[in-house]
Formats: sequence, structure tokens, C-alpha cells
Amino acid sequence: MGMKISSQVNVAAAEVAVEAINARFSSAGVEATSAQHASGHKRTYVSITCPPAHWLALAKWMRFDGGVNHCSMITGVHHPDGGPDKGWEVIAHLMRIPVVDQKPGKALVHDAAKLSGKDVPMEYEVMLTLPQTDDPIVPSVQSIWVGADWNEKETWDLVGINFEGHEYMMRVLNPHDSPQGFHPLQKQHHLRYHGHNEMYDDAQGFMRLPVDVDKVK
Amino acid sequence: MAEMWITMGPQHPMTHGLWTLRVKVDGETVVDTEPELGYIHRGVEKICEARDFTQITPYCDRLCYVSAMTWAHSYIYSAENLLEVEVPERAEYIRLIATEIQRVTSHLMWLGAYSPDIGNLTIFTWCLRDREMFIDLMQELGGSRLHYNFPRVGGVKRDLPVGFAQRCRAKIALFLGRLKEYEMLLDESTVFLVRTQGVGLASAEAMVNAGVTGPNLRAAGVNYDVRWAHPYSVYDELDWMPSVEKPSSVKGADCYDRYRVRMEEMVIACEMVLEALEKIPGGADSHYSPGDAMIQSKAPLRAPAGSSGFHHYEDCRGESMFYLQGGGEGRGKHPYRVSIRSPMFITIPFVAKTMIGYKIADIPAIMGSFDPCIGETDR
Repeated sequence: MGMKISSQVNVAAAEVAVEAINARFSSAGVEATSAQHASGHKRTYVSITCPPAHWLALAKWMRFDGGVNHCSMITGVHHPDGGPDKGWEVIAHLMRIPVVDQKPGKALVHDAAKLSGKDVPMEYEVMLTLPQTDDPIVPSVQSIWVGADWNEKETWDLVGINFEGHEYMMRVLNPHDSPQGFHPLQKQHHLRYHGHNEMYDDAQGFMRLPVDVDKVK
Repeated sequence: MAEMWITMGPQHPMTHGLWTLRVKVDGETVVDTEPELGYIHRGVEKICEARDFTQITPYCDRLCYVSAMTWAHSYIYSAENLLEVEVPERAEYIRLIATEIQRVTSHLMWLGAYSPDIGNLTIFTWCLRDREMFIDLMQELGGSRLHYNFPRVGGVKRDLPVGFAQRCRAKIALFLGRLKEYEMLLDESTVFLVRTQGVGLASAEAMVNAGVTGPNLRAAGVNYDVRWAHPYSVYDELDWMPSVEKPSSVKGADCYDRYRVRMEEMVIACEMVLEALEKIPGGADSHYSPGDAMIQSKAPLRAPAGSSGFHHYEDCRGESMFYLQGGGEGRGKHPYRVSIRSPMFITIPFVAKTMIGYKIADIPAIMGSFDPCIGETDR
């Protein structure tokens, strides 16, 4: 039968990863737990909360000691109503992928049932919470995963979270001449839709009400 | 010789969409590159914040017009993780059939767009001819030709129509024969081989580090595939192995390897569809009405505040992913945040740097071999 990693192997690999991170970083306030997807195969993954100040150290350790070689996504969320301690969130989704460079004419064909140790693919979710501030900033991990580079560019462009140490930050999806401080996924920019979400998002994004306000359902 | 910048795009046959590649050249040699994206940024993530979970699916279809079915499913699996929904097994089989047919059409569109880039116009017409067969099949499922709006949170919109299995088997049998004709035409074409072999080398570890996955990674000799590594749907019940190609250089896979891996992947996708039609619970020839418990389970409309769901998904171009946060009661039925990982958004900057050192004439061959799709890149 086809390719299958048993759930025992999956759970055990997650627990090993959780213990390793907790042993190394719990004194710094990093907390790793095993979490489960809610539907489908209910696979276990590693969920980590990390103080932003220790993110770079944790990322370095995960990349070079934990074998986490793939940065899948770095994204941000704006929480204007999240209370004084939670104004912004940065969420990184990382993966451990069993990959080795191959010689010409050779291929690495994994048999899913026989994978063990760090060869077991694993998902990681790292959550960084920032307090309410006008200038959210977290350390950049661009130097650790090349793939983080454009993810961080996008997060700054759309959400407005800065990445300390990121080289060559620029607009990637919005026009290059967008007004400074305009980040459309911040929650003060509203969408109008059948009366749910009040305001039209004008092209400049600066709170100008549309001419048909109150007239559109 | 003096170096200079050349702007390729936004309207250029190489781009396969709307974006700009700025190339610094020294004579004929590429010295530096810089991609510029965002020409067709529609703000899908923002729009989705004002839609409920069912309304988001059509927007996900439109992320990539070449591969609408896989993008809609990528979203749906994340939404099911967020809303904690179990899906009937028959629906999972139907989803697998739909997405694997979509994978074939997506790779056909890639081959059809790639071969004219490097001097073979015949394949273009052949690919579009055969793609139409599979598009007709998906039209039977979704109702429209390219944007199907087919999956639902908790199941699928409709069951397989009566006679679908028979038509599907016949078309796959015809297509697998024709695929051999493609190979005969391309693998024996000197022009094709000269332009693809030894060009655009990329190694497995460098690609993973840069976030490049999917067929492009498998071409470099590693059979990593989200479909088995982080299983979803019923892929673990079928007998299959992801296609993998042996790289042809110490520096990794070239454009020819990436072509081979996609050709193989089309065969594997067809075999998976055939096997799924045999194994589907309830039988491929029976038809349940929309909303039946065999094909759709009930799903909640709201997700609690602070909840989140994500799902890694094997799209035709690599690993796609949705990250969703629930809005809670205050925000009605809308998600608080929808974040989309587009494989091509990450791959294009990597490919741009891969081109350094090659000639200007190699740029279309290298770029095309990674299968760019700008709809999903710009979102």
C-alpha cells in the first residue's frame, strides 16, 4: 500500500521536537506544545509561543540543530482590539523536510513507513505576540531561511509589521509609490459588503468616506 | 563590456502573466536580476475578511485560473481545520478525483505554454486539445469551465454525475496514449533538448531553503510530497508514489528534469484517478443528491474568536497553504484573517537568482520550466 506515516511515528516525532525546544529555550520564555489539526487525519504538529526578543535565537537553533529547513509562511495579524498586550501577531509556519542534495543520476526515494528521527516530516507553528504599538517590529529571519525573505517583505507591505535586520525591504504587492504608512490589511481599513463592514477602502487608504456612504446595502 | 539593465515585462512572452523581470546583462550574460510583482494584486486576503466561509471558495478558484480546483481545496481543508468538520469518505474520494484531474490539466497548460517558449508550437495545440477533455470532466462536476466552486466546507457541491466514471476512464485511456506522442515529439527534438538540458540548475537543499517545493523540488531527486508527508484526503489509501527525477548535474536539476517530472506526474495523477474510481465508497456509478450525508456533512458557520486553522497542501506548483483565524461572535460569520501562501510568490525570486550566469536566451527556458502562475503570486 502507498505512502503512509503512521500516527504513532508522527506523534512521537512531535514530542521529541517539543522536548528539545523546551529543554533548550523554556528559561527564555519559549513554550512548545504538541498540537493537533482539528479535522481530517488529525496530524500532530509543534506549536510554539515565543517572546519576540528570542525569535532569532530560536530560529537559528531550529534551523541548524533542529533540522527545520523550510520556511513555509511568515504572516502577520493586526489586533487593534486585542488589549494592551496583544496588538499584533506574527505567525511563522515552518517545516522539516527530509532533503539531501543528490548526485547526478541518483534519487532519494523515501519510504514513508520507514522514516525515523529527524527524517520524519514535521510542521511547526511559531507565534510571536507584540503589544499595542504604532511601530510593531520583530527580528528578521531572512538570514536563516532564504524563503523567509519575501514572506517578510509581504508581511511588511500588507500588514505593516517591520522586520529588524531585513535587508532591502520593499513593497512587493502594493504599488511601489504607495503612501508611507499604508498597509491595507491593518484593521482600520474597512471593507464595505452588504452593510457588514462599514467603510469603503479608498485607493489611498486614508479614512476618506465614499460618496455613496449610507446609500449602499 | 558595459553592463546594462533590460526590463522584460510586464508584457513579455517569457512572463506567462503580468510581471517584470529586470535583468542586468554583460553582453549576452545575465549578471543580476530583480523581479517586480504585484501588477494584478486584487487584495483577495482583505476581501475574504468580509465574506463568510462558503463565499470565500470562488475567490480561491480565481487565485489561479489554471488550477482553480486545487486552490479551492487548499482553502477548504484549512477551513475544515478551523471549523472542526469531518468529511464523509466518499466526498474525500470525489475531491481526490477532481484535484488530480486538475493536476493533469494544469501540467498540460504548463507544457502547452512552455514549449512555444523554446521553439515547439505543435505541442501547444496538442496540449490544449487534450486539456479540453479534462476540463469537460471538471465542468460536469462544477458546472463552469474554469472556475468550479466545487468543494464545500464538509464535502462537495455535487456527486459524480451518472456516466462520469465511464467517460473519465475513456478519456484517460486516450490521453495516456497521446502522452507517449508528446514524449516522442519532445524527447527526440534537438531544439528542445539543447534548450533545456544543462540549463537552470537548482539543487534540492537550496530549493528547500528558498521555499521551493512541489514538482520543482522532486525534479532534483527527492520524492518529498505534502500528499504523503502531511497526509490529507485519502491519498494514504491509494497505491502510489510521487514522481521523482534523477538530477542530471552535481548542481541539481535542469529544465529537462523539471519537464520529465511533470510528464511522469500526469501519468501518476491519471492512475490515481482510475484507482479512486474503483475504490470510492458507494461506487462510482451511483449518484447521491446534493447535501446527502454521503457527500456532505453539516458544518458550523462561525469559528470562535482566537481559533486558527491551517493546512499545507500540494498544489500543482508546490506547497500552498491557507492560514485562517476565526472571527468569533462579534464579527459574524467572517474569518478575522486569511493569509495565503502562494508557492510561486516564493519561487519566482528564487528562479530569478537561478538565472544569473546564463545567457539572455535561456531566461524563457528557465523561467517557464518552474511553471509560473501570476494569478496566485499576486493574489
